[in-house]
Amino acid sequence: MKQRYVLRVNGRDLEAEAGAHESLLDVLRERLRLTGSKKGCNEAECGSCTVLLDGRPVVSCLVLVPDAADRDVVTIEALAEEGVPHPIQRQMVEQGGVQCGYCTPGMIMSAYALLRDNPDPTDEEIRFAISGNICRCTGYGKIVKAVRAAALEMKEQSGNGGAAS
Amino acid sequence: MSEDPSTETAEETQAPYHWIGKNVTKPDALEKALGATEYVGDMVVPGMLHGKILWADTPHAVIKRIETEEAARVPGVHAVLTSKDVPGSNRFGLAVPDQCALAEEKVRSVGDAVALVAAEDEEAAEEAASKIKVHIEHLRPILTYADALDPDAPKIHEGGNVFQHTTVRKGDLDKGVRESAVIVENAYHTHRMDHVPMEPEAGLAYVDPSGVLNILVGTQYPYRDRRQIAPALGLPMNKVRVIQAPIGGGFGRKDDITAEIHVGLLALKTRRPVRLVYTREESLVANTKRHPMAMNFRTGASADGRLTFLDGDIYGDTGAGVSLGAYVIKKAGIHATGPYDVPNIRVDTYTLYTNNLTSGAMRGFGVMQAAVAHESQMDQLAHKLGMSPLEFRLKNCLKPGLASSTGQLMNEGCGIEATLQRIKDYMSARELRFNRPEAASSDS
Repeated sequence: MKQRYVLRVNGRDLEAEAGAHESLLDVLRERLRLTGSKKGCNEAECGSCTVLLDGRPVVSCLVLVPDAADRDVVTIEALAEEGVPHPIQRQMVEQGGVQCGYCTPGMIMSAYALLRDNPDPTDEEIRFAISGNICRCTGYGKIVKAVRAAALEMKEQSGNGGAAS
Repeated sequence: MSEDPSTETAEETQAPYHWIGKNVTKPDALEKALGATEYVGDMVVPGMLHGKILWADTPHAVIKRIETEEAARVPGVHAVLTSKDVPGSNRFGLAVPDQCALAEEKVRSVGDAVALVAAEDEEAAEEAASKIKVHIEHLRPILTYADALDPDAPKIHEGGNVFQHTTVRKGDLDKGVRESAVIVENAYHTHRMDHVPMEPEAGLAYVDPSGVLNILVGTQYPYRDRRQIAPALGLPMNKVRVIQAPIGGGFGRKDDITAEIHVGLLALKTRRPVRLVYTREESLVANTKRHPMAMNFRTGASADGRLTFLDGDIYGDTGAGVSLGAYVIKKAGIHATGPYDVPNIRVDTYTLYTNNLTSGAMRGFGVMQAAVAHESQMDQLAHKLGMSPLEFRLKNCLKPGLASSTGQLMNEGCGIEATLQRIKDYMSARELRFNRPEAASSDS
């Protein structure tokens, strides 16, 4: 039995007809056609479906759509502003953190949540923040480097090295 | 990151090349970072149906009968197909066409596809697949190397369970044994491994107005795919077009056919576009893996630390289909000496059919399995001789002018000595030592 849900996705109220057993990931991908969030395992192992739910990074494959209704969802599609890539997106490209690209959106969402709360993370903190995101191509080194470079870029952008919020 | 002069090479700093030695931004990286890249599982086309596979779920059985009537009655279902509905040979395989697109008289592994469904949505396709009844009679499953080598075991394919036997012979083995001061003999087993590309297998197929079957797939080799798809589906080569979609990791497994034939057959039969996306569980069960191997190695060295001989057998489990197994396992035999100069060699390899999952190409292509054995042997020989494992390798490694196990003369492209020397320099600069006893103590 399908029901109508209103989801606040990337700042817009979107309606979707879905069964109560459907995951936020499936609704984003199949009903709202936001396919940037990927389905690598559908059981919270790989992190490629990571989105922000009320500001917190979650694996959207394990969130049932009724639990996401009337809450704030941010997906990879919202990170670039007016066509300008977010510093994490740009640095992932420049530092060689992208290979097959399938883990990349989820990886970036985890890094995005980290840098919003902790604008100057140590490598250890970066590694911890992306520890729920599996990448099979890069070996993670260049991803950590990209997040570090993005943190620096965001700090410079925000002026005198203050918080990057 | 520390800048270590010993990790730089002169060529890198002086080369007048345009691209070599320079960082190049990957052309499709930005669209991937934006989340804009559409992999096959992200694609939707008008009128698209969803495909689903019914897997055998049993390793070895005779198929008596398949009932599809109830499945076909599920609302939204457009096709329920078995091997009888395949218009072509129904066979594929990279080395030999020994795999069935849909199982015919026999099931040979749990990862064999038995039936296909196309429906308006994934739920209907899943429901229909669950209503297909497959009547089978179990056969003795061949699951171990010993099972496969047992002459009384049932034959998985008509030609028997030993698909291929290869040999490497060099020098005089008896002489090598006589010249040995130390000999180590061990059995090594490596395990089956899934590539786990982040993107599970997926395909999208449609027949275009000119009658060409178009198949979008994240593949490593569209033209070799086509050479397998066309005969399996009974189409001329020019009526099949394989379109390389973005590939979410392959590591060798997408060298083989994955979703192509199944999704193509569903599109041919329904005359509708069909998308077929594997779950992770399906991806783990179906398609190729890394070969498990059993390796029995006997290796000798002289008192002054020179390798004298290698006497070895390698058994590779290629599962229910050869895929590239015959080449992978042969290659393990060719590389059984590793990058070392061994004057006397006997190595035999056996490519064995079993009812396990089919194994094929995976990064390293048989060389990794052999390395587990030859490097362990090297360590144990060094230990018995009371030599540093690094010095022992430096003494025995291939150098320009020496030949490999199969007689290939090494030229300037042979870098093992320089590699080992750099490790030695690195370790001595930092006073690093091996975390193992350096001298033979009581057991030599």
